[in-house]
Amino acid sequence: MFGSAAASAEQVLIANYQIHGFDEMFAAPGLARPHYERLLGQLNDLGPAELARRNRVADLSMRHQGITFTVYGRDQGDERIIPFDPIPRLVPPDEWDQIERGLQQRVRALNLFIHDVYHSRLVLKDGIVPPELVLGASGYRREFVGVRVPRDIYMHISGIDLIRDVDGRYLVLEDNCRTPSGVSYVLKNRQVMKQVFPVLFEDHDVRPVDDYAANLRAVLRHVAPAGVEDPTVVVLTPGVHNSAYFEHSFLARQMGVELVEGRDLFLDNGAIYMRTTRGAQRVDVVYRRIDDDFLDPLTFRRDTQLGVAGLVGAYRAGRLGLVNAIGTGVADDKGIYPFVPAIIKYYLDEDPILPNVETFRAPVDSHRQHILANLDKLVVKAVDASGGYGMLIGPASTAAERDEFRRKIEANPRGYIAQPTIALSQHPTFFDGRLEGRHVDLRPFVLYGEEIKVLAGGLTRVALPRGCLVVNSSQGGGTKDTWVLRELPPRAAPSNDGAA
Amino acid sequence: MLSRVAENLYWMSRYVERAENVARLLDVGFDLELDDATLDTDREPAPVEGVLNILGCRQAFQKRYGTGTADRDAVLRFLTFDRSNSLSVLAMVAAARENARGTQESVSSEVWSQINRLYLYLNGGKAQRRFEESPSRFYDGLKRACVLFAGLIDGTLPHNEVYHFLQVGRYLERAGQIARILTDRAHQLTPLALPGDRPLQLVHGTSLLRICSAHDAYLRTYQDQIDSEGIVQYLVLNADFPRSVRFAVERCALSLREISGADTDEYVSESERLLGRLSGELRYLEAGEIFARGLSTFLAELLETCDRVGREVHQAYFFT
Repeated sequence: MFGSAAASAEQVLIANYQIHGFDEMFAAPGLARPHYERLLGQLNDLGPAELARRNRVADLSMRHQGITFTVYGRDQGDERIIPFDPIPRLVPPDEWDQIERGLQQRVRALNLFIHDVYHSRLVLKDGIVPPELVLGASGYRREFVGVRVPRDIYMHISGIDLIRDVDGRYLVLEDNCRTPSGVSYVLKNRQVMKQVFPVLFEDHDVRPVDDYAANLRAVLRHVAPAGVEDPTVVVLTPGVHNSAYFEHSFLARQMGVELVEGRDLFLDNGAIYMRTTRGAQRVDVVYRRIDDDFLDPLTFRRDTQLGVAGLVGAYRAGRLGLVNAIGTGVADDKGIYPFVPAIIKYYLDEDPILPNVETFRAPVDSHRQHILANLDKLVVKAVDASGGYGMLIGPASTAAERDEFRRKIEANPRGYIAQPTIALSQHPTFFDGRLEGRHVDLRPFVLYGEEIKVLAGGLTRVALPRGCLVVNSSQGGGTKDTWVLRELPPRAAPSNDGAA
Repeated sequence: MLSRVAENLYWMSRYVERAENVARLLDVGFDLELDDATLDTDREPAPVEGVLNILGCRQAFQKRYGTGTADRDAVLRFLTFDRSNSLSVLAMVAAARENARGTQESVSSEVWSQINRLYLYLNGGKAQRRFEESPSRFYDGLKRACVLFAGLIDGTLPHNEVYHFLQVGRYLERAGQIARILTDRAHQLTPLALPGDRPLQLVHGTSLLRICSAHDAYLRTYQDQIDSEGIVQYLVLNADFPRSVRFAVERCALSLREISGADTDEYVSESERLLGRLSGELRYLEAGEIFARGLSTFLAELLETCDRVGREVHQAYFFT
């Protein structure tokens, strides 16, 4: 009886499951990859109705906890939860090992690159990266040329977006070296998964993610001004109306530090203080979630109300630690991206462990001709945009959109790069009582303090509309929990159900 | 603690206390109207409509609904779900949540989640359905949600500065609300003129006690003697009942002292001095003296003191 019930449930869950490109769970129709076998069995045991019920519980739990983000461009900022998919993504130990080493290598090299750009500029003099690309990048801050930053670390926190091609190779799609967001969802997704699907964790040796806050705190303390023994650390947020406010608040709470807004801070006698009920209190390290431009009206944009007048001066003078450093935007500029493999080779004399996606650069004549001739096949990206804005996805575009991009590229070649349309890997995702394949990417988070640590997990983003290739939450993407396995789960015993 | 955070906490708790108060008033008002045969509706507005007077928003209501006879359902909705009315339960819960959102990291996740859930509930269709099914049960649920918020503050936060700013907001608001309700009823709270007035005074007195959730406790103390003097004694001067003015003032004074770190026989801020003086007075006053001084006058002074304390708290802690 049980056997036949389970068998029919199995058919319901993966009935008509379609594989396009690389599928994370299935090697072939109905054939799970070894590290997914146990999970698939557990999902079948739960059955579609139970999965649906628990999925609703998970959604409700997120809503009650206020795990929301704000969508811009609608009336007065619409608060929404990011859709959460209950089917976890599994990363086996050997794949994670490669990812971890690859990210450490990349972050180390990018950090050396930023330091070089703001000091001796050997990378430009040696002709590795065209100077006009670096000095003309929107993230370049000439105000910081020659400024020493604490321990020469610039990008303490980064999020590197990975995708997989049709062969399952991990590729770097994008570097985020300013204030990458999403880590709170990694931690919250895990918490909710444990509450709602404890049974799935059985038989899986999942590496924990909850050491992130402690590691982040250590990174922040690491850059305190010299001589400060017990530094006061704060998280600086633009305020409750920022799309990532939940994350700012969450991280402050997890680290047990104050969450401040610009108006809570002020400069006095060269140092930064916060206004408290007991008067002014000195601040030593600021984890800022505000872009360079809005940080200090005396140095950058004068119309900002988010920042703190004089903060940059205090930082320059070594009276304040700032995370990330100012000017890290040169490293995640899409115009610089094609050169990262060369940058790794140049500083570390190593081959990149994680390759880039093949990229065409519009300023190069031959590339540009190729781009313009293949607009319907390529993905075109504006180099200074992020979050899925300012993109042309060739195969899904209209003739009018392609004409618009053609004009833009011809007018400003430096502003664009193009990549082949990669069929991102897909992952089974729960829809209406069945699993359907949906495209995913992976954003692991890297901390650079005394050493470079990669959080064992990451944000797996899912493009929910069928066939959609953009996974950004601002474009309707969802997330799922990502399990880095310490060991492969035990293989399922050969099943007799079919014979019963 | 950050001054901005302290201010958020203070207001968060004031708003929830206010929302609970409105829910109580409407609950009791609605209940009274179900047996309105006993009421003297010529002299008095209907109980639900009377809530507009207590909250001082009759004009706002008339602006929206016209000056004709107030429809009960319209008043209930105006004071419960109307976002354009800053005194509605929904508007206050929204304001409390907005304050909580800006201080999530200071309160426990339980406290934040409670106010967030209440807000989502009031905004959703479920609240509307409950309200239509049974206003009594709906308001009862609201009161419970607010009490749970206060309970979670008591039970999940360390009793440090965060907690004490929440307490100051809650009890300062409560003292003021009781005073406002009594002010609205002051003309009913007179010594008995004619024996024939007794049944009516019993109805008024009972409703007043129920608004303050004091009915059962009062009866345990005074048995069936519901009269003006007893009510004032209980709702203003009682030391142990959590919805008496004295209790609220003493709690508020205690938390202010914890915040400033002053000794029990000293004070550091003007707000502590004002509250200390008031609580001393409440401790040694008798109901008869209040009536001798004039109940309305006494309450007006009380409200003035509460307002001054609020201003002083702002000066001392929020504008640094």
